[in-house]
Amino acid sequence: MKPNWRSITGSRILDLLTLFVVFAFLFPYLFMVSSAFKSRLETFAYPPVFLQFTPTLEHFDNIFSDMNILFYMKNSTIIAVCSTLLTILIAIPATYSFARFRFRNKEGIAYGFLFLQMVPGISIVFALFFIARALDLFDTHIFLIFVYLLWNVPYAIWMMRGFVEGIPVELEESAMVDGASRFKAFRLITLPLMAGGVAATAILIFIGVWNEFSLAFFLTSTNARTMPTTIAFFMTHSGIKWGPMFATATIGTLPVVVFALLVRRYFISALTFGAVKG
Amino acid sequence: MSRPLSDPVKDAPKIAPMTVDRKFQRRRPQWLAPALLIMPAFVVVFAIAAYSAFSLFQLSTVDLTFGEPFRNAEAVGLENYQWLLTNEHSTFGAALRVTAIYLLGTLIPELLLGFAIALLLNRKMRGNSLFTAVLIIPIVLMPSMVGLIGRLYFHYDGLVNYFFELLTGIRHNWYGKDLALLAVILVDVWEWTPFFILILLAGLQTLPVEPFEAARVDGASRWQSFSLITLPLMLPLILTTLILRFMDVLRLFDVIFVMFAGGPGTSTTTLPLYVYRTTLVQRDVGRGSAASIMLIIIIVTLTVILIKVRERIKFEA
Repeated sequence: MKPNWRSITGSRILDLLTLFVVFAFLFPYLFMVSSAFKSRLETFAYPPVFLQFTPTLEHFDNIFSDMNILFYMKNSTIIAVCSTLLTILIAIPATYSFARFRFRNKEGIAYGFLFLQMVPGISIVFALFFIARALDLFDTHIFLIFVYLLWNVPYAIWMMRGFVEGIPVELEESAMVDGASRFKAFRLITLPLMAGGVAATAILIFIGVWNEFSLAFFLTSTNARTMPTTIAFFMTHSGIKWGPMFATATIGTLPVVVFALLVRRYFISALTFGAVKG
Repeated sequence: MSRPLSDPVKDAPKIAPMTVDRKFQRRRPQWLAPALLIMPAFVVVFAIAAYSAFSLFQLSTVDLTFGEPFRNAEAVGLENYQWLLTNEHSTFGAALRVTAIYLLGTLIPELLLGFAIALLLNRKMRGNSLFTAVLIIPIVLMPSMVGLIGRLYFHYDGLVNYFFELLTGIRHNWYGKDLALLAVILVDVWEWTPFFILILLAGLQTLPVEPFEAARVDGASRWQSFSLITLPLMLPLILTTLILRFMDVLRLFDVIFVMFAGGPGTSTTTLPLYVYRTTLVQRDVGRGSAASIMLIIIIVTLTVILIKVRERIKFEA
């Protein structure tokens, strides 16, 4: 059979197009990372400098020594880790309940959680500001950790419910036939099987908290300030300090990108609250 | 309380040797276990929500300058809402208009572009898993940093103008009143088109093969099998994706705040930015809170309507 040259060149063109499109989406990120290693002059050069620059580490030096970026990273880590762990701890029993029991108004309650998740942070942040002031919790880690639960717990329940429902209930039943209590059956059978899903959920919640801006920005000032809100420091009266900003952005986004690539398999269901399996 | 179809706690002991413990367990009401398990989540989430909702509503009924203590607040009833909706100096209507443009300006191109690229990626090709991995990156970047790099790239001497000049010979002033909203929209399209690509690609890959084979046997053209099979089968998923994005776009704050903070003028003041500007820039806590409550009502109502629409379409399909 003669090869169909028209369709072969056609698919070649489509391959190239795909490559181009994907690169176009990656490019702004690559340019951001490369700019962290450019001098101020090179950042503002027109036409832009793409590859022909001498890499410098001065901006990284600057943010670690002068801007004390480690302090903000520490805050971000404390808040993100604590809020994530607390979320998972609270959400696992609730998830199990939604996935394994039948009770009245189950879907109604589940949707109730989902609707609370829809509330925009910016719409209640100033009310929270007054609450924090009244409780003397403004600019503390603990307040942010708890506030984030409002969004994280419903998200975790919706995400993990799918994972639990995917585990056959017969496994637990047979353990109970063998004399295990319901809790023991859950701990020994279901929990290990849902561990992957829990880990993925935890990572995605961590990413969400790590990146969160509006609540962190208006509910902290100096003590509990997080990484994303440090952008205010780069906007000075003498203009924006682009070099340190790019260095911070590079460091701040690195863990998230690595984590996201780690849980890539779960990413689609994560984006859709478990509605779509990837 | 309805009885479960198969409740292992009830059914299992008939076979297993009964223990004292389990006898006791059987006498407990059936709703107790699920209720206890949900309780911590319910208490925490609804406590935070109720407390904030209560203070938000309270703030929306007073006249208070931001920065002053709450005891200086003066009760004004529902005047703040009335002012926002009817006063000639209120820019709430303008914010609604900007929000609508922003919604359509992001969702339509993201859907079309995302679907087209998903179709492009839905072929046997080397490196496909690498491509989908790369597409995750814009979605997970820190939005505040995305806003800042957006600001630099849309600078007059920035990256975007460089490519514009290369292609069309002209540079634009993206920081101006006319184009700022478009700049913000383009940043969102870059950030979130991959969302559509990844979800729709996952959907395309799980489509059944049989209808397409049958169509080919019947001599259907590529366009026919796309418009008559792919599209209807994908419709529920397209709607789900749109709803999820719809909620997110409507509450987006950080990127626009960092890029242009709602300006110049009110050209990028979407509803979330309007809340911020009223509360913190004009320091009017009452009107800001009233606007917040209307934003919440708008999001929840429209989303519920969209979910209902999607359910109806699902049944018809």
